[in-house]
Amino acid sequence: MFFKGEPKLDEGKEQLEKMLTLSRLTGNPAIPDFFIRKESYIEKIVDFIESTLPKKHPFSIDITVPSIKIKTLWYLHKKDILFRTIYNSIHIGVTEEERKALKNYTPAAAIVVAFNPKDNSPDGKIEVLENSAHLLDKGLLAIADEVGIKNVLVDTAALAPGENSGASVAAIPVIKEEYGLPAGCAIHNVVEKSAWLKNFDSAAKVVDASSNINIPLFGGDYAIFGPAENAGLVFPIIAWEDILISEYTENYFGTKPRENHPRRKFFK
Amino acid sequence: MKNDFYPWGGEFTVCSSNSCIAVVLLQIDYTPPKDVAVFGQVKTENIGIEKIVANVISNPNIRYLLVCGDDIRGHLPGSTLVALHKYGIDKENRVINAPGAIPYIENLGVEAVKRFRKQVEILDLMGVRKNEKIDEVVRDCIKKSPPSFGSPYIAIKIVAKHGWAVTDDKRVLHSKIVIDYMGKIKGRGC
Repeated sequence: MFFKGEPKLDEGKEQLEKMLTLSRLTGNPAIPDFFIRKESYIEKIVDFIESTLPKKHPFSIDITVPSIKIKTLWYLHKKDILFRTIYNSIHIGVTEEERKALKNYTPAAAIVVAFNPKDNSPDGKIEVLENSAHLLDKGLLAIADEVGIKNVLVDTAALAPGENSGASVAAIPVIKEEYGLPAGCAIHNVVEKSAWLKNFDSAAKVVDASSNINIPLFGGDYAIFGPAENAGLVFPIIAWEDILISEYTENYFGTKPRENHPRRKFFK
Repeated sequence: MKNDFYPWGGEFTVCSSNSCIAVVLLQIDYTPPKDVAVFGQVKTENIGIEKIVANVISNPNIRYLLVCGDDIRGHLPGSTLVALHKYGIDKENRVINAPGAIPYIENLGVEAVKRFRKQVEILDLMGVRKNEKIDEVVRDCIKKSPPSFGSPYIAIKIVAKHGWAVTDDKRVLHSKIVIDYMGKIKGRGC
Protein backbone atom coordinates (compact mmCIF):
# COMPACT_ATOMS: atom_id res chain seq x y z
CA MET A 1 0.00 0.00 0.00
CA PHE A 2 1.50 3.23 -1.14
CA PHE A 3 0.23 6.31 0.57
CA LYS A 4 0.88 9.27 -1.67
CA GLY A 5 1.49 12.25 0.59
CA GLU A 6 -0.18 12.16 4.01
CA PRO A 7 -1.47 8.58 4.58
CA LYS A 8 -5.23 8.39 3.99
CA LEU A 9 -6.03 5.69 6.50
CA ASP A 10 -9.77 5.47 5.84
CA GLU A 11 -9.11 4.60 2.21
CA GLY A 12 -6.37 2.23 3.33
CA LYS A 13 -8.77 0.44 5.69
CA GLU A 14 -11.32 -0.01 2.92
CA GLN A 15 -8.69 -1.46 0.57
CA LEU A 16 -7.39 -3.78 3.26
CA GLU A 17 -10.85 -5.13 4.03
CA LYS A 18 -11.52 -5.64 0.35
CA MET A 19 -8.27 -7.55 -0.08
CA LEU A 20 -8.89 -9.78 2.94
CA THR A 21 -12.39 -10.55 1.64
CA LEU A 22 -10.97 -11.50 -1.76
CA SER A 23 -8.44 -13.67 0.03
CA ARG A 24 -11.22 -15.51 1.89
CA LEU A 25 -13.26 -15.92 -1.29
CA THR A 26 -10.44 -17.28 -3.44
CA GLY A 27 -8.48 -19.14 -0.78
CA ASN A 28 -5.24 -17.34 -1.59
CA PRO A 29 -3.48 -15.90 1.47
CA ALA A 30 -2.94 -12.13 1.43
CA ILE A 31 -0.25 -10.17 3.19
CA PRO A 32 -0.48 -6.37 3.01
CA ASP A 33 2.73 -4.47 2.35
CA PHE A 34 3.05 -0.94 3.71
CA PHE A 35 5.36 1.57 2.11
CA ILE A 36 6.68 4.07 4.64
CA ARG A 37 7.92 7.14 2.85
CA LYS A 38 8.80 9.47 5.70
CA GLU A 39 9.95 9.19 9.29
CA SER A 40 6.92 11.18 10.42
CA TYR A 41 4.62 8.46 9.01
CA ILE A 42 6.15 5.56 10.98
CA GLU A 43 3.92 5.73 14.06
CA LYS A 44 0.81 6.56 12.07
CA ILE A 45 1.18 3.59 9.72
CA VAL A 46 2.34 1.07 12.33
CA ASP A 47 -0.51 2.08 14.67
CA PHE A 48 -2.89 1.69 11.73
CA ILE A 49 -1.55 -1.83 11.06
CA GLU A 50 -1.93 -2.77 14.72
CA SER A 51 -5.48 -1.48 15.00
CA THR A 52 -6.79 -2.61 11.58
CA LEU A 53 -5.29 -5.97 10.72
CA PRO A 54 -6.55 -9.11 12.48
CA LYS A 55 -4.32 -10.03 15.44
CA LYS A 56 -1.40 -12.25 14.39
CA HIS A 57 -1.97 -11.48 10.70
CA PRO A 58 1.41 -11.00 9.00
CA PHE A 59 2.32 -7.80 7.16
CA SER A 60 5.38 -6.39 5.49
CA ILE A 61 6.99 -3.00 5.72
CA ASP A 62 8.54 -1.60 2.57
CA ILE A 63 11.07 1.14 3.22
CA THR A 64 13.91 2.43 1.06
CA VAL A 65 15.72 4.81 3.43
CA PRO A 66 17.99 2.96 5.92
CA SER A 67 17.44 5.45 8.77
CA ILE A 68 13.64 5.07 8.46
CA LYS A 69 14.04 1.28 8.34
CA ILE A 70 15.97 1.36 11.62
CA LYS A 71 13.47 3.62 13.37
CA THR A 72 10.56 1.52 12.17
CA LEU A 73 12.18 -1.67 13.51
CA TRP A 74 12.49 -0.02 16.90
CA TYR A 75 8.85 1.07 16.86
CA LEU A 76 7.63 -2.37 15.77
CA HIS A 77 9.64 -3.80 18.68
CA LYS A 78 8.05 -1.29 21.06
CA LYS A 79 4.61 -2.32 19.82
CA ASP A 80 5.60 -5.98 20.18
CA ILE A 81 4.57 -6.92 16.65
CA LEU A 82 7.93 -7.93 15.18
CA PHE A 83 6.73 -11.56 15.42
CA ARG A 84 4.40 -10.92 12.46
CA THR A 85 6.60 -8.49 10.54
CA ILE A 86 8.15 -9.23 7.16
CA TYR A 87 11.06 -6.88 6.55
CA ASN A 88 11.05 -5.58 2.97
CA SER A 89 13.94 -5.76 2.34
CA ILE A 90 17.56 -6.85 2.69
CA HIS A 91 19.57 -6.09 -0.47
CA ILE A 92 23.15 -5.27 -1.36
CA GLY A 93 22.62 -1.70 -0.17
CA VAL A 94 22.15 -2.93 3.42
CA THR A 95 24.13 -0.73 5.82
CA GLU A 96 26.11 -1.68 8.94
CA GLU A 97 23.66 0.28 11.11
CA GLU A 98 20.75 -1.56 9.53
CA ARG A 99 22.39 -4.91 10.23
CA LYS A 100 22.89 -3.92 13.88
CA ALA A 101 19.26 -2.81 14.15
CA LEU A 102 18.07 -6.09 12.61
CA LYS A 103 20.12 -7.99 15.18
CA ASN A 104 18.59 -6.03 18.03
CA TYR A 105 15.04 -5.94 16.72
CA THR A 106 14.67 -9.03 14.58
CA PRO A 107 11.53 -9.38 12.47
CA ALA A 108 9.92 -12.78 11.90
CA ALA A 109 10.85 -12.81 8.22
CA ALA A 110 12.65 -10.81 5.58
CA ILE A 111 12.47 -10.43 1.84
CA VAL A 112 15.97 -10.82 0.42
CA VAL A 113 16.30 -9.11 -2.95
CA ALA A 114 18.54 -10.93 -5.42
CA PHE A 115 19.44 -7.83 -7.41
CA ASN A 116 22.94 -8.02 -8.83
CA PRO A 117 24.10 -4.83 -10.58
CA LYS A 118 26.88 -6.83 -12.27
CA ASP A 119 24.76 -9.59 -13.73
CA ASN A 120 20.99 -9.65 -14.21
CA SER A 121 20.79 -13.34 -15.22
CA PRO A 122 19.45 -16.08 -12.90
CA ASP A 123 23.07 -17.06 -12.21
CA GLY A 124 23.85 -13.48 -11.24
CA LYS A 125 20.95 -13.54 -8.81
CA ILE A 126 22.32 -16.72 -7.24
CA GLU A 127 25.71 -15.04 -7.00
CA VAL A 128 24.36 -12.13 -4.99
CA LEU A 129 22.64 -14.51 -2.57
CA GLU A 130 25.86 -16.53 -2.26
CA ASN A 131 28.52 -13.83 -2.01
CA SER A 132 26.85 -10.44 -2.64
CA ALA A 133 28.81 -10.41 -5.93
CA HIS A 134 31.71 -9.42 -3.62
CA LEU A 135 30.16 -6.02 -2.97
CA LEU A 136 29.66 -6.82 0.73
CA ASP A 137 31.64 -8.92 3.20
CA LYS A 138 29.31 -11.90 2.74
CA GLY A 139 26.33 -13.14 0.76
CA LEU A 140 22.84 -11.82 1.39
CA LEU A 141 21.58 -15.14 2.75
CA ALA A 142 24.50 -15.25 5.20
CA ILE A 143 23.69 -11.69 6.28
CA ALA A 144 20.04 -12.62 6.88
CA ASP A 145 21.20 -15.59 8.90
CA GLU A 146 23.75 -13.55 10.86
CA VAL A 147 21.15 -11.01 12.01
CA GLY A 148 18.83 -13.82 13.11
CA ILE A 149 16.20 -13.90 10.38
CA LYS A 150 14.50 -17.30 10.59
CA ASN A 151 12.30 -17.03 7.51
CA VAL A 152 13.59 -15.79 4.19
CA LEU A 153 11.53 -14.95 1.12
CA VAL A 154 13.67 -14.44 -1.96
CA ASP A 155 12.66 -11.66 -4.31
CA THR A 156 14.13 -12.39 -7.74
CA ALA A 157 14.32 -8.66 -8.60
CA ALA A 158 12.21 -7.88 -11.65
CA LEU A 159 14.00 -5.39 -13.89
CA ALA A 160 12.82 -3.26 -16.79
CA PRO A 161 12.32 -4.63 -20.30
CA GLY A 162 15.72 -4.55 -21.98
CA GLU A 163 17.41 -5.47 -18.69
CA ASN A 164 16.63 -9.18 -18.86
CA SER A 165 13.19 -8.72 -17.33
CA GLY A 166 12.42 -12.41 -17.96
CA ALA A 167 15.24 -13.46 -15.65
CA SER A 168 13.08 -12.58 -12.64
CA VAL A 169 10.68 -15.43 -13.42
CA ALA A 170 13.36 -17.74 -14.87
CA ALA A 171 15.26 -17.42 -11.58
CA ILE A 172 12.32 -18.66 -9.50
CA PRO A 173 12.78 -22.41 -10.14
CA VAL A 174 16.57 -22.00 -9.99
CA ILE A 175 16.48 -20.44 -6.54
CA LYS A 176 13.83 -22.81 -5.24
CA GLU A 177 15.83 -25.83 -6.34
CA GLU A 178 19.10 -24.44 -5.07
CA TYR A 179 17.96 -23.30 -1.62
CA GLY A 180 14.46 -24.63 -1.09
CA LEU A 181 13.42 -21.11 -0.16
CA PRO A 182 10.13 -19.50 -1.16
CA ALA A 183 10.63 -17.20 -4.12
CA GLY A 184 8.60 -14.59 -5.93
CA CYS A 185 8.91 -11.06 -7.24
CA ALA A 186 7.13 -7.83 -8.13
CA ILE A 187 6.64 -8.69 -11.80
CA HIS A 188 4.13 -5.87 -12.21
CA ASN A 189 7.04 -3.43 -12.00
CA VAL A 190 8.11 -4.68 -15.43
CA VAL A 191 4.72 -3.60 -16.76
CA GLU A 192 5.07 -0.18 -15.16
CA LYS A 193 8.38 0.20 -16.97
CA SER A 194 6.94 -0.80 -20.36
CA ALA A 195 6.48 2.72 -21.68
CA TRP A 196 5.10 1.47 -25.01
CA LEU A 197 2.00 0.17 -23.20
CA LYS A 198 0.90 3.75 -22.65
CA ASN A 199 -0.21 3.70 -26.30
CA PHE A 200 -2.81 1.09 -25.39
CA ASP A 201 -4.94 2.80 -22.77
CA SER A 202 -7.38 0.03 -22.00
CA ALA A 203 -4.71 -2.69 -21.84
CA ALA A 204 -2.29 -1.28 -19.30
CA LYS A 205 -4.24 -2.22 -16.17
CA VAL A 206 -5.15 -5.68 -17.46
CA VAL A 207 -1.55 -6.42 -18.41
CA ASP A 208 -0.38 -5.13 -15.02
CA ALA A 209 -2.74 -7.43 -13.11
CA SER A 210 -2.31 -10.47 -15.35
CA SER A 211 1.50 -10.23 -15.36
CA ASN A 212 1.28 -11.85 -11.93
CA ILE A 213 0.32 -15.25 -13.38
CA ASN A 214 3.93 -15.65 -14.50
CA ILE A 215 4.93 -16.19 -10.89
CA PRO A 216 2.80 -19.29 -10.12
CA LEU A 217 3.43 -20.52 -13.66
CA PHE A 218 7.16 -20.67 -12.88
CA GLY A 219 6.52 -22.24 -9.49
CA GLY A 220 6.75 -19.04 -7.47
CA ASP A 221 5.29 -18.77 -4.00
CA TYR A 222 4.25 -15.15 -3.76
CA ALA A 223 3.47 -12.22 -6.02
CA ILE A 224 4.08 -8.65 -4.91
CA PHE A 225 1.39 -6.72 -6.72
CA GLY A 226 0.25 -3.15 -6.64
CA PRO A 227 -1.40 -0.78 -6.28
CA ALA A 228 -3.79 -2.25 -3.68
CA GLU A 229 -6.81 -1.24 -5.75
CA ASN A 230 -5.77 -3.90 -8.31
CA ALA A 231 -6.64 -6.63 -5.79
CA GLY A 232 -10.06 -7.08 -7.42
CA LEU A 233 -8.33 -8.21 -10.61
CA VAL A 234 -5.24 -9.91 -9.21
CA PHE A 235 -6.91 -12.34 -6.79
CA PRO A 236 -9.28 -13.94 -9.33
CA ILE A 237 -6.49 -14.07 -11.93
CA ILE A 238 -4.13 -15.87 -9.55
CA ALA A 239 -6.92 -18.20 -8.39
CA TRP A 240 -7.66 -19.05 -12.02
CA GLU A 241 -3.99 -19.79 -12.68
CA ASP A 242 -3.73 -21.86 -9.49
CA ILE A 243 -6.63 -24.05 -10.64
CA LEU A 244 -4.97 -24.55 -14.01
CA ILE A 245 -1.65 -25.53 -12.44
CA SER A 246 -3.26 -27.68 -9.78
CA GLU A 247 -5.15 -29.78 -12.32
CA TYR A 248 -1.94 -30.40 -14.20
CA THR A 249 0.25 -31.12 -11.19
CA GLU A 250 -2.28 -33.51 -9.69
CA ASN A 251 -2.62 -35.35 -12.96
CA TYR A 252 1.14 -35.49 -13.55
CA PHE A 253 2.68 -35.64 -10.08
CA GLY A 254 -0.25 -36.64 -7.92
CA THR A 255 0.00 -33.43 -5.87
CA LYS A 256 -3.34 -32.78 -4.21
CA PRO A 257 -4.38 -29.20 -3.45
CA ARG A 258 -4.85 -28.23 0.16
CA GLU A 259 -8.30 -27.62 1.58
CA ASN A 260 -8.52 -23.86 0.98
CA HIS A 261 -6.88 -23.97 -2.46
CA PRO A 262 -8.91 -22.09 -5.10
CA ARG A 263 -9.59 -25.40 -6.85
CA ARG A 264 -11.25 -26.74 -3.71
CA LYS A 265 -13.13 -23.46 -3.20
CA PHE A 266 -14.68 -23.43 -6.66
CA PHE A 267 -14.84 -27.15 -7.60
CA LYS A 268 -16.02 -28.98 -4.51
CA MET B 1 14.61 3.06 -27.67
CA LYS B 2 18.03 3.04 -29.36
CA ASN B 3 19.55 5.14 -32.10
CA ASP B 4 22.99 5.90 -33.49
CA PHE B 5 23.69 8.62 -30.97
CA TYR B 6 22.41 6.68 -27.97
CA PRO B 7 23.34 3.00 -28.43
CA TRP B 8 22.56 1.94 -24.86
CA GLY B 9 18.89 2.77 -25.29
CA GLY B 10 16.44 3.57 -22.53
CA GLU B 11 13.29 5.58 -22.03
CA PHE B 12 14.07 8.99 -23.44
CA THR B 13 13.03 11.44 -26.12
CA VAL B 14 15.52 12.48 -28.77
CA CYS B 15 15.21 16.08 -29.92
CA SER B 16 18.11 17.95 -31.52
CA SER B 17 21.22 15.78 -31.55
CA ASN B 18 23.49 18.76 -32.23
CA SER B 19 22.37 20.45 -29.04
CA CYS B 20 24.81 20.90 -26.14
CA ILE B 21 22.40 19.98 -23.35
CA ALA B 22 20.59 16.88 -22.13
CA VAL B 23 17.96 16.89 -19.38
CA VAL B 24 17.40 14.28 -16.68
CA LEU B 25 13.92 14.30 -15.14
CA LEU B 26 13.10 13.13 -11.63
CA GLN B 27 9.42 12.89 -10.71
CA ILE B 28 8.63 16.12 -12.49
CA ASP B 29 5.94 17.14 -14.95
CA TYR B 30 8.17 19.10 -17.28
CA THR B 31 8.89 18.93 -20.99
CA PRO B 32 12.11 20.69 -21.97
CA PRO B 33 12.32 22.85 -25.10
CA LYS B 34 12.76 20.94 -28.35
CA ASP B 35 16.28 22.28 -28.84
CA VAL B 36 17.77 20.09 -26.11
CA ALA B 37 19.63 17.00 -27.37
CA VAL B 38 17.68 14.44 -25.42
CA PHE B 39 15.61 14.19 -22.25
CA GLY B 40 14.22 11.40 -20.13
CA GLN B 41 13.57 10.10 -16.65
CA VAL B 42 15.92 8.21 -14.36
CA LYS B 43 14.60 5.91 -11.65
CA THR B 44 17.51 3.77 -10.48
CA GLU B 45 20.86 4.68 -9.00
CA ASN B 46 22.73 1.94 -10.87
CA ILE B 47 21.43 0.70 -14.23
CA GLY B 48 19.63 3.97 -14.94
CA ILE B 49 22.75 6.03 -14.36
CA GLU B 50 24.88 3.67 -16.43
CA LYS B 51 22.57 4.28 -19.37
CA ILE B 52 22.75 8.04 -18.93
CA VAL B 53 26.56 7.96 -18.83
CA ALA B 54 26.90 5.64 -21.83
CA ASN B 55 24.37 7.56 -23.91
CA VAL B 56 25.76 10.97 -23.04
CA ILE B 57 29.37 10.13 -23.94
CA SER B 58 28.28 8.66 -27.26
CA ASN B 59 27.08 12.12 -28.27
CA PRO B 60 30.08 14.48 -27.88
CA ASN B 61 27.86 17.50 -28.59
CA ILE B 62 26.33 17.16 -25.12
CA ARG B 63 28.33 19.36 -22.76
CA TYR B 64 25.71 20.07 -20.10
CA LEU B 65 23.58 17.62 -18.19
CA LEU B 66 20.73 19.28 -16.35
CA VAL B 67 19.14 17.31 -13.49
CA CYS B 68 15.75 18.53 -12.30
CA GLY B 69 12.73 17.47 -10.24
CA ASP B 70 12.55 15.77 -6.88
CA ASP B 71 14.97 12.98 -6.14
CA ILE B 72 13.46 9.55 -5.53
CA ARG B 73 13.53 8.60 -1.85
CA GLY B 74 15.88 5.81 -0.88
CA HIS B 75 17.29 5.25 -4.34
CA LEU B 76 18.30 8.89 -4.90
CA PRO B 77 19.40 8.51 -8.53
CA GLY B 78 19.66 12.29 -8.99
CA SER B 79 22.05 12.80 -6.08
CA THR B 80 23.96 9.68 -7.11
CA LEU B 81 24.43 11.09 -10.61
CA VAL B 82 25.72 14.34 -9.15
CA ALA B 83 28.08 12.40 -6.84
CA LEU B 84 29.33 10.28 -9.74
CA HIS B 85 30.24 13.38 -11.68
CA LYS B 86 31.86 15.03 -8.69
CA TYR B 87 33.78 12.10 -7.18
CA GLY B 88 33.75 9.15 -9.61
CA ILE B 89 33.77 5.51 -8.48
CA ASP B 90 35.94 3.57 -6.04
CA LYS B 91 37.72 0.24 -6.54
CA GLU B 92 34.51 -1.63 -5.78
CA ASN B 93 32.73 0.37 -8.50
CA ARG B 94 30.66 2.15 -5.88
CA VAL B 95 29.90 5.80 -6.59
CA ILE B 96 31.98 7.74 -4.07
CA ASN B 97 29.89 9.61 -1.48
CA ALA B 98 26.67 8.51 -3.14
CA PRO B 99 23.65 8.59 -0.88
CA GLY B 100 21.53 6.08 -2.87
CA ALA B 101 20.77 2.52 -1.76
CA ILE B 102 22.73 0.54 -4.39
CA PRO B 103 24.94 3.06 -6.20
CA TYR B 104 27.16 0.73 -8.23
CA ILE B 105 28.43 1.23 -11.77
CA GLU B 106 29.18 -2.33 -12.79
CA ASN B 107 28.60 -2.46 -16.52
CA LEU B 108 30.74 0.49 -17.60
CA GLY B 109 34.51 0.77 -17.60
CA VAL B 110 36.42 3.35 -15.55
CA GLU B 111 37.45 5.11 -18.77
CA ALA B 112 33.81 5.69 -19.69
CA VAL B 113 33.16 7.28 -16.29
CA LYS B 114 36.26 9.47 -16.64
CA ARG B 115 35.13 10.59 -20.06
CA PHE B 116 31.65 11.44 -18.72
CA ARG B 117 33.13 13.53 -15.91
CA LYS B 118 35.28 15.45 -18.38
CA GLN B 119 32.74 15.83 -21.16
CA VAL B 120 29.82 17.35 -19.29
CA GLU B 121 29.10 19.92 -16.66
CA ILE B 122 26.26 18.98 -14.32
CA LEU B 123 23.57 21.54 -13.63
CA ASP B 124 21.87 20.49 -10.42
CA LEU B 125 18.37 21.97 -10.41
CA MET B 126 16.80 19.39 -8.12
CA GLY B 127 14.13 21.00 -5.98
CA VAL B 128 13.54 23.92 -8.36
CA ARG B 129 9.76 24.21 -8.60
CA LYS B 130 9.34 26.65 -11.48
CA ASN B 131 9.55 25.16 -14.96
CA GLU B 132 10.29 28.65 -16.35
CA LYS B 133 13.48 28.72 -14.27
CA ILE B 134 14.58 25.39 -15.79
CA ASP B 135 13.74 26.70 -19.28
CA GLU B 136 15.88 29.74 -18.58
CA VAL B 137 18.92 27.62 -17.63
CA VAL B 138 18.44 25.46 -20.73
CA ARG B 139 18.32 28.56 -22.94
CA ASP B 140 21.45 30.01 -21.30
CA CYS B 141 23.39 26.81 -21.99
CA ILE B 142 22.29 26.72 -25.61
CA LYS B 143 23.34 30.36 -26.03
CA LYS B 144 26.84 29.52 -24.79
CA SER B 145 27.15 27.04 -27.67
CA PRO B 146 30.25 25.18 -26.42
CA PRO B 147 32.26 23.15 -28.94
CA SER B 148 31.82 19.41 -29.34
CA PHE B 149 34.00 17.30 -27.02
CA GLY B 150 35.43 15.48 -30.04
CA SER B 151 34.83 11.91 -31.06
CA PRO B 152 31.95 9.86 -29.73
CA TYR B 153 32.86 7.36 -27.00
CA ILE B 154 30.96 4.14 -27.55
CA ALA B 155 31.03 2.34 -24.22
CA ILE B 156 31.15 -1.44 -24.32
CA LYS B 157 28.92 -3.18 -21.80
CA ILE B 158 31.07 -5.22 -19.42
CA VAL B 159 30.07 -8.87 -19.28
CA ALA B 160 30.16 -10.25 -15.75
CA LYS B 161 32.45 -13.13 -14.87
CA HIS B 162 31.25 -15.32 -12.07
CA GLY B 163 33.48 -15.79 -9.07
CA TRP B 164 32.12 -19.30 -8.48
CA ALA B 165 31.84 -22.54 -10.36
CA VAL B 166 28.59 -24.29 -11.13
CA THR B 167 28.83 -27.74 -9.62
CA ASP B 168 25.24 -28.39 -8.71
CA ASP B 169 23.42 -30.44 -11.35
CA LYS B 170 20.05 -28.97 -10.43
CA ARG B 171 21.15 -25.40 -10.98
CA VAL B 172 22.92 -26.33 -14.19
CA LEU B 173 19.58 -27.38 -15.63
CA HIS B 174 18.40 -23.79 -15.47
CA SER B 175 21.64 -21.93 -15.91
CA LYS B 176 22.73 -20.36 -19.12
CA ILE B 177 23.35 -22.91 -21.85
CA VAL B 178 25.89 -22.03 -24.55
CA ILE B 179 25.23 -23.69 -27.88
CA ASP B 180 27.67 -23.71 -30.81
CA TYR B 181 26.71 -23.02 -34.42
CA MET B 182 25.96 -26.69 -34.99
CA GLY B 183 23.44 -26.65 -32.15
CA LYS B 184 25.64 -28.67 -29.79
CA ILE B 185 25.86 -27.70 -26.14
CA LYS B 186 29.29 -26.19 -25.47
CA GLY B 187 28.82 -25.37 -21.83
CA ARG B 188 26.40 -24.73 -19.03
CA GLY B 189 26.39 -22.15 -16.32
CA CYS B 190 28.92 -19.97 -18.10
